[in-house]
Amino acid sequence: MWAIIKKEFKSYFTTPIGYIFIGVFLIAFSVSFYFTVLGYGSVNFEYIYYSMPTILVLAFLIPVLTMRTIAEERKTGTEQLLLTSPLSITKIVLGKFIAALSIVLITELCTLMYFAIICHFGMPHITTAVITFIGFLLFCMSYISFGIFASSITENQIIAGIISIGFFIITWVFPDFNPNLNALSFINMFYNYTQGQIDIADTITFITFTITCILLTIIFLQRRKSIK
Amino acid sequence: MIEIKNVTKKYGKVIAVDNISFEVKNGEIVGLLGPNGAGKSTTMNMITGFIEPTEGTIIVNGYDMSKKPKKAKREIGYMPEGVPLYADMTVREFVKFMAEIKRVDKRERNVKVEKVIEQTGLKDVEKKLIKNLSRGYKQRVSMAGALVGEPKVLILDEPTVGLDPKQITEIRSLIKELGKTHTIILSSHILSEVSQICQRVVIINKGKIIAVDTPENLETKVSSKNIVYVTVEDAENKIEKAAKKIKEITNIKFIKENSDNTKQYMLESKNDVDLRKIVFNEFAKENITIFELKKEDATLEDAFMKLIEGGNDNVGNN
Repeated sequence: MWAIIKKEFKSYFTTPIGYIFIGVFLIAFSVSFYFTVLGYGSVNFEYIYYSMPTILVLAFLIPVLTMRTIAEERKTGTEQLLLTSPLSITKIVLGKFIAALSIVLITELCTLMYFAIICHFGMPHITTAVITFIGFLLFCMSYISFGIFASSITENQIIAGIISIGFFIITWVFPDFNPNLNALSFINMFYNYTQGQIDIADTITFITFTITCILLTIIFLQRRKSIK
Repeated sequence: MIEIKNVTKKYGKVIAVDNISFEVKNGEIVGLLGPNGAGKSTTMNMITGFIEPTEGTIIVNGYDMSKKPKKAKREIGYMPEGVPLYADMTVREFVKFMAEIKRVDKRERNVKVEKVIEQTGLKDVEKKLIKNLSRGYKQRVSMAGALVGEPKVLILDEPTVGLDPKQITEIRSLIKELGKTHTIILSSHILSEVSQICQRVVIINKGKIIAVDTPENLETKVSSKNIVYVTVEDAENKIEKAAKKIKEITNIKFIKENSDNTKQYMLESKNDVDLRKIVFNEFAKENITIFELKKEDATLEDAFMKLIEGGNDNVGNN
């Protein structure tokens, strides 16, 4: 599995995708930083994570990060190399998932510099910041796993990307129309973390959703072996 | 080494591979031969565990592919059709990656990667990105990927497609060299290639095996007549008459007149007679000067065409 993680991670930086993800996210983050911290004089680090520009770019960045993972392998035929190796499908999928998640983690670590700036001018709440960090990782984890699943059902990266963007937007916007759907909104769940509380139900939802998507991907790839 | 037992692959109602069985012994080089779409690649994909057969079992070195895929896959080095590679890796990175996913022991990895790179002649380009390589080199990189980890079985799907003649000879001699230490199955639709490299040929058409034999046996089995080409200087046109005197000749046909006033004829006889000696002696008596006398070998091409056209009346399944 380590080989897959290493290869995927490297490919994020031999192609522009890794740089685009980190760069664009940090630009959006800076915009939020400017408005909340410099504009309002707030020292709430967690608000920057929850702000509109950050979430908006994320709707497009996570699909960009995940859309090629499996679709490209199928298109170029390199999946034959992976699937005829002694590696199990589970390890291949997990390797890809971990590599994508590590890009998010690197991005989060980059945002620590903003945290340092805030610390210089005021006293941000450290526990809340840490919980927001965890929440953001869980939040991204769910969308990454869905993105990988979307990538496994088509050999066209663009279609995989559009499916993931659509899913992100639907789970973001729909709850606004119908308050009953509020419980289904990942954004709302993430909001609880930015309030400094780890909600067990939310955490379990994120984790089970991730596991479900990964399992679906594995089952899908396994099944393709017999119908392909 | 490899046993394929009653393997069938269906795509919905379409039958891609229809109940095939054959065996490959240790150290053998076997060629899968058939026109495009005959089921060669499907068969190879099933042997390597990339797809699952609808029915039947595949056993590689004692391991059942559907029950012990990890162990079975470890015995196999696969070079897929169209040589899929990671274009953004360098040659060395790719071979190393293949070694890693094939679980080559970490301490031996570098040594083994090095050995394979040398063996496939990639030392000069090992630091180049794969996307910048020529087709011939890509083919070798793919071969290196299959070879690393010292698998006992090599499965090569159309290994010489898209190469120039020089590269083809290079790859062929590499395969022959590898055949000394590996069991090899290769597919091709180029017949001369198979007859040069392989010890045994499996001919597939429309998903069915229509013949399994050595290239030589297939050639003799299907040829029903002997053909001799003769070029003569024959100013008085005596050849027709002379030919009639030789009762073994069943047919004579004029082919062409050359610029030096010699004429070429084609002479046919039954399969079991060699016309050359008779023709030489008889024509000399008639004062016909022979410039060239050559027996046409029945080629695998003929065998192939005959088998494919003959459909399913079995020529031999031994």
